[in-house]
Amino acid sequence: MEDNQVREWHPFIGPFDPCPPVRVKTYVVPPNQFITFQPMNLPQFSPAEALRLGTLWPSLYSNYTSKRRGEVVTDE
Amino acid sequence: MSEVLTEDYYRKLEELQQLDFVLVELTLYLDTHPNDMQALQQFNKTAQQRQQAAYNFEMEYGPLLQYGHSYSRYPWQWSQTPWPWQV
Repeated sequence: MEDNQVREWHPFIGPFDPCPPVRVKTYVVPPNQFITFQPMNLPQFSPAEALRLGTLWPSLYSNYTSKRRGEVVTDE
Repeated sequence: MSEVLTEDYYRKLEELQQLDFVLVELTLYLDTHPNDMQALQQFNKTAQQRQQAAYNFEMEYGPLLQYGHSYSRYPWQWSQTPWPWQV
């Protein structure tokens, strides 16, 4: 599920780990990390979309899909 | 209050929610951009739309707010069903 906002890293897995290893862990870097000060007159969503997606500005949208539906990347 | 909530009820309610969300976003935006003229005009336009939408909703389905922020018909509508969590 390649997405420009989702980054992943590979934790160290030792031979004596008590639990089954999670080989790949992902985290989200939303666009507001890269915008220090929001510029004026950015393009906007329609009110219906804005309510649905959670923000008024497409450039600030971060989908942050849930991981519960088995989307966690476990294999190496 | 009709027991069965019509499709129109939910559509108007969602439209109100959409306008409210846009107003929340614009308010937060204008807090940090006080001299953004275009956003301010959009805010005032949306606020007017929201008042109109709320007025239409209340005329048809009863008060949205309490303690004098909404009118009520006879008999007193506030305590009748459906309550917000039942909608």
